[in-house]
Amino acid sequence: MRLVIAVVAVVAFVGCGASGDRAETEAVVGRFYDAVSRQDGEAACAELAEATVEALESQSGQSCRSVVTRLDLGGGPVAGAQVAATSARVELRGGVSAFLDREPDGWRITAVGCRPQDGPPTERPMECEAEA
Amino acid sequence: MRRWVRENSLALFFLGIFLAALVAQALVGHSDFNNQQLAHQDPTMSLGRYLTSSAFMVDVMENWQSEYLQFTLFILATIFLVQRGSTESKPLGREGTESDEQQKVGRHARPDSPRWAKRDGWRLALYSNSLLLVMATIWIGSWFAQLVTGRVVYNAEQFDHHEAPLSLWQYAGSSEFWNRTLQNWQSEFLAVASMVVFSIWLRQRGSPESKPVGEPHGTTGAEG
Repeated sequence: MRLVIAVVAVVAFVGCGASGDRAETEAVVGRFYDAVSRQDGEAACAELAEATVEALESQSGQSCRSVVTRLDLGGGPVAGAQVAATSARVELRGGVSAFLDREPDGWRITAVGCRPQDGPPTERPMECEAEA
Repeated sequence: MRRWVRENSLALFFLGIFLAALVAQALVGHSDFNNQQLAHQDPTMSLGRYLTSSAFMVDVMENWQSEYLQFTLFILATIFLVQRGSTESKPLGREGTESDEQQKVGRHARPDSPRWAKRDGWRLALYSNSLLLVMATIWIGSWFAQLVTGRVVYNAEQFDHHEAPLSLWQYAGSSEFWNRTLQNWQSEFLAVASMVVFSIWLRQRGSPESKPVGEPHGTTGAEG
């Protein structure tokens, strides 16, 4: 019986450990959108993962700080977040999502301005304005 | 102390190798997890974080649930089903839950029988099925833990692919969950069937899992 209690406790720990991460991921995406709305490209790029910054710069041929404020991000305020291990999705009102990875110094956005394609959203990757 | 160890050596041996295997699994699992993460350009985890992660838990739970299911089914099936010549079967003709006299319960209990075996009502009913109930509870609990932690791991991949996550019910109906489950079940069922059948004709001198070496193949339920 102790074994059962131990297993339930560990599963509960694994399941509940994400609540702090949810708030953190929502805050990161909130800061990113705030920075974009202020036209503060440098602050917005600071919330992106390094690989996403590199992809954005190589695709546009411009610096991240100058291109990030011109992306068609869409979406309203943050509506909620789901965290799974080292990855997360933050949903914004209007059906737009951002995806994040937990990096050594905290959560960083790996894809932003993501919209579902035709078909089941659990089977079709979303199309994103910027992604690693 | 030495006597206590000798008298409990079977349980101590298996608990010891269980812990050693679990520690080894944790270490190599952590290394493998981080290799996979780096290959996908995803962040790595410290050992401490990995041990409380769903990635480690799902690998442990999917094996636990199948082992406990194996013994739950074995205990249940051997009440009603028999196999001529097998050490794992009761003698033919004793199928079922047997009489109170055969089970030494109620007024047939011995002075040194367990306390609840001498009682009537729910205590006797509960104690009479306690082995099956505990095994089944651990099976269900670990299977549910596999479901919860497996979904987290699956959704982490969904997020990496920029796809929407699955709800618990969606994951419970997914091919990934059932593939993890059935790949363990089939091997457990094969192992039990092998033990039941092999013990008819094959022997291991000195093991209670085998008949005595000279026992005829047709003898059922004999242990050496």
